[in-house]
Amino acid sequence: MKDTIIALATPLGRSGIGVIRLSGEDSLSTIRKLVRDKNFNPKPRFAALKKIYDFETNEILDEAVITYFQSPQSFTGEDIVEISGHGSPVILRQIIDLCLKLDARMAEAGEFSLRALANGRLNLSQAEAIRDLIDAQSAASARQSIRQLRGELSNELQPLKDDLLDVIVVLESSLEFVEDDLPAVQARNIKEKLVKIIAQLEKMAATFQAGKLLREGLKVALVGRPNVGKSSLFNALLGHERAIVTAIAGTTRDQLHEKLTIKNIPISLIDTAGLRETSDTVESIGVERSKRTMADADLVVVLLDGSENLTAEDTDLFDQVKDLNYLVAINKSDLEQTKIKLDEKIKLLHISAKTGEGLDKLQNAIIEPFATNNLENTGFLISDARHFDLLRRSVLEIEVSSHLIDEQTSEEIILIGLHNALRFLGEITGETTNEDMLTRIFSTFCIGK
Amino acid sequence: MIFDEKFDVIVIGAGHAGCEAASAAARLGVETALITLNLDLIGQMSCNPAIGGIAKGHIVREIDALGGIMGRIIDRTGIQFRLLNRSRGPAVQSPRAQADRALYRTEMRRVLEFTSNLHLRQGAVAELIVENNNVIGVELQDSRRFAGQAVILATGTFLNGKIHTGSKTFSAGRAGEPASIDLAENLKHLGFPVGRLKTGTPPRLDGRTIDWDAFEEQNAEENPVAFSFATEKIEQPQISCHIGYTNDKMHHKIRENLHQSPLYSGKIKGVGPRYCPSIEDKVVKFADKDRHQLFLEPEGHNTNEVYLNGFSTSLPSNLQQDLLRMINGFENVQIIRPGYAIEYDFIDPRQLKPTMETIQIKGLFFAGQINGTTGYEEAACQGLIAGINSAFYVQKRDPFYLKRNEAYIGVLVDDLIQHGVDEPYRIFTSRAEDRLTLRHDNADHRLSSKGFEIGLLSGLDWENFNKKRDRISMLKEIINSTRFKRSDIEYASISQLLNCDLGDAITLSQLAQRQGVNLDLIYRLLPQNIQSQISTNELETTLADSLYSGYIENQRVVTERIYHNDNLRVPEVFSYKNISGLSNEMAERLERAKPSTFGQLRRIGGITPSAVSTVLVHLTAHKN
Repeated sequence: MKDTIIALATPLGRSGIGVIRLSGEDSLSTIRKLVRDKNFNPKPRFAALKKIYDFETNEILDEAVITYFQSPQSFTGEDIVEISGHGSPVILRQIIDLCLKLDARMAEAGEFSLRALANGRLNLSQAEAIRDLIDAQSAASARQSIRQLRGELSNELQPLKDDLLDVIVVLESSLEFVEDDLPAVQARNIKEKLVKIIAQLEKMAATFQAGKLLREGLKVALVGRPNVGKSSLFNALLGHERAIVTAIAGTTRDQLHEKLTIKNIPISLIDTAGLRETSDTVESIGVERSKRTMADADLVVVLLDGSENLTAEDTDLFDQVKDLNYLVAINKSDLEQTKIKLDEKIKLLHISAKTGEGLDKLQNAIIEPFATNNLENTGFLISDARHFDLLRRSVLEIEVSSHLIDEQTSEEIILIGLHNALRFLGEITGETTNEDMLTRIFSTFCIGK
Repeated sequence: MIFDEKFDVIVIGAGHAGCEAASAAARLGVETALITLNLDLIGQMSCNPAIGGIAKGHIVREIDALGGIMGRIIDRTGIQFRLLNRSRGPAVQSPRAQADRALYRTEMRRVLEFTSNLHLRQGAVAELIVENNNVIGVELQDSRRFAGQAVILATGTFLNGKIHTGSKTFSAGRAGEPASIDLAENLKHLGFPVGRLKTGTPPRLDGRTIDWDAFEEQNAEENPVAFSFATEKIEQPQISCHIGYTNDKMHHKIRENLHQSPLYSGKIKGVGPRYCPSIEDKVVKFADKDRHQLFLEPEGHNTNEVYLNGFSTSLPSNLQQDLLRMINGFENVQIIRPGYAIEYDFIDPRQLKPTMETIQIKGLFFAGQINGTTGYEEAACQGLIAGINSAFYVQKRDPFYLKRNEAYIGVLVDDLIQHGVDEPYRIFTSRAEDRLTLRHDNADHRLSSKGFEIGLLSGLDWENFNKKRDRISMLKEIINSTRFKRSDIEYASISQLLNCDLGDAITLSQLAQRQGVNLDLIYRLLPQNIQSQISTNELETTLADSLYSGYIENQRVVTERIYHNDNLRVPEVFSYKNISGLSNEMAERLERAKPSTFGQLRRIGGITPSAVSTVLVHLTAHKN
């Protein structure tokens, strides 16, 4: 039996569409859980449009096209499910995380191709090509590992691995050298150490969310009816003139993309064309695009004009964003304000693009829903989904062992989870061999009659 | 070439590897010669007079299940049996027995003498006779020549052996026996890669000069657990051992005299085992420890000689006695034989096949300490594998070897031939990936069918095993189907005994996994007609299977995840040189190591990840 592997099949980054590929026996049962439909029986090789749910919160994550390839008629020869979602990396990553929770495993470099080869779906000459690919990929990941080794991941992980090895050494020695005069194993002591290791691994894993944010950033769309000052705000956030600002409504006909960072988080800021039903062809294309941009963004900033009353266009806009992640900024706080009344639940910020008033608050409000940790103070970051997966698995294994200690189970059983955890961590920082362990034993305890 | 005698298989050395090898080969029907320097020292225990221990005991039971002899002989000559780790899970329990050294030797010789096709010869082999990379016989120092299609070298510490005590150094294979110098030269000349290892042994004491009351007594267990599956009862009267400790004053004196130890003066170049350190090492490396444990082990029923386990040393003999006399109870102790360190040649085992045959010379096998291992059990199992395969070589039968997940023997041989050794190699349970599966009590379930197929396990043993297996599968059925409901009388009493609620119903196998439930309780709860049919050992095995089954399955899934390609076989004929994209250096390394599976290949040192993935693609393609 082979486990089910998962990977992003399209390049990471912004694109119109992102494809996640699952291969293995559990592909179908995994997708069934994601679409919340136990009886979902997609016809092989036909596209099916389904909503993807976060089964933990029951929130809808995305609407995606699901394509099922039944074994053996698939690239790998195994059951394959392809999930084509909207291209937002944040959502794609969320979907992958859910699959990992359902016990899929991040694929290793070239693993899909290797499975295809193993199942006779590729021939040797194709295999040769794949080998080059694997080489290239492992070279790339090797470069990355070196970076990570030098960097903080390894620094942070190494002491934890050492602590884990210490616990293993104590338990192994007590099993292996019963006739030696070793100090008695203190279950409580061991338990405390494990709890500490778990806590630290979890802390590391938690930085994964933050890591994703730092690497992939956020896509923020700026929308509002014409002339509420989108371009002024755009320029104010960027700190330089980029958009053409005029008093004529509809000046911005095309979208403007700019990169900026807020507290280290890369933000891709999009100034949309004024959302206005129009007969002007150029402008109407821009409007169409704006709608798509909104749906694709991680966050929509709806801009209103505080010096004017709400218009029908504003209300229309609220209708369009109601299912999206958005916040409302009321511009022109430097002018005399009309009292705009909105639903109390909607978060409001008063700003002035012209004077800069309230801009810092807006910046904070943009990243706040995404930044789980204090990003400026995060010591180090897990940036690779595979590493995150391995950390998570290590924690699960140690938790099982820790529980077995409470039950006073014999050491050889407690050790299973600890060795597994060490193996998983070893996939990040390098394997701990049996020889390494023995060396630690013989330097810790005086063994031998 | 003219030969004085002709045999099929020649075994050189009659220690634990040699005896096992000769016995196996002869019983498989080939004419076998066992050549030893001294016929009176066949099966001699050169160091600790004990067999078994954690993982080592597992190996002895595996040898027995395959039809080897070590288990049967220690069962007849052991004078203190203990099951180690009794309080822990069944997978890490293991039998250990102290032997009556002289009895063990005599019994081994008796068994060998009564083995048909087996011929004992005394003499010193000086040279292997090799023609076209085939071994064809041996030449002795006294110029006798024996022909043999296969030769097994089981020379122990004798190759270029050198004994050290204090500043004195002399050539010897063991105390009082000559080293094999010609043969060592011959092996070098044949091109085998030679390394140097070191081991040590403690002084033997005159039991009459020990104040026994000053030491803590360690009694023999009441129900000794035998090594051999054929042994019904341990007949030897059982004796006690004693435990004592070194002290600070003595440590101080050792430190003062370190310059007299050849280990510390730099005279000894060989690498010693870390798990069997000399007392000098213990005192230096663990300076904060104020005492070290000593075991006083009587050497037999008919001698006063006492083996002082834990005091291996190469300090000068007179100093050894002074040091010991600093211990309470040893005030008047007299040393009969001083401790010493011995350095010897070993041959890098990476040039062996899993059958123990050398890659470069056909028909030549190495077994035991010559391959860099330590321990009688480690030696014996290599002897068994070499003995079987030497006979198979002569008979042109398919080679026999064990996999890592089948036996500790498989783990040991694989470790040796894949990784070689940096220090004397000893088996540990942690070396086995499948520790939970490789139990001492199920060695027969794992290996008896192989032993029978090979032809070493007798028809009677095979029949007994089959009956046992049937009883165990019946027991399995019963413990899974016997349930106690709330309304049953037994339920109340069990619940009361364990002081907890058991749910609406509980099966015997579920009950067995609860804390505080012992074997006796389960036994008493079995139907009476079943109780009379089975032994407690059989119940133990049944419960162990059920205890571990869940963990083993989970573990299988995890290792599958990590090592899913490890079982991929490398074809017999597989040319690494023809793989494009593999550097010459990598190809050469792989050709040399000749891994038989991808798992072995992955573990070879110095192979780059890129080379590993390149080969993986080719192996995967090749499979189709």
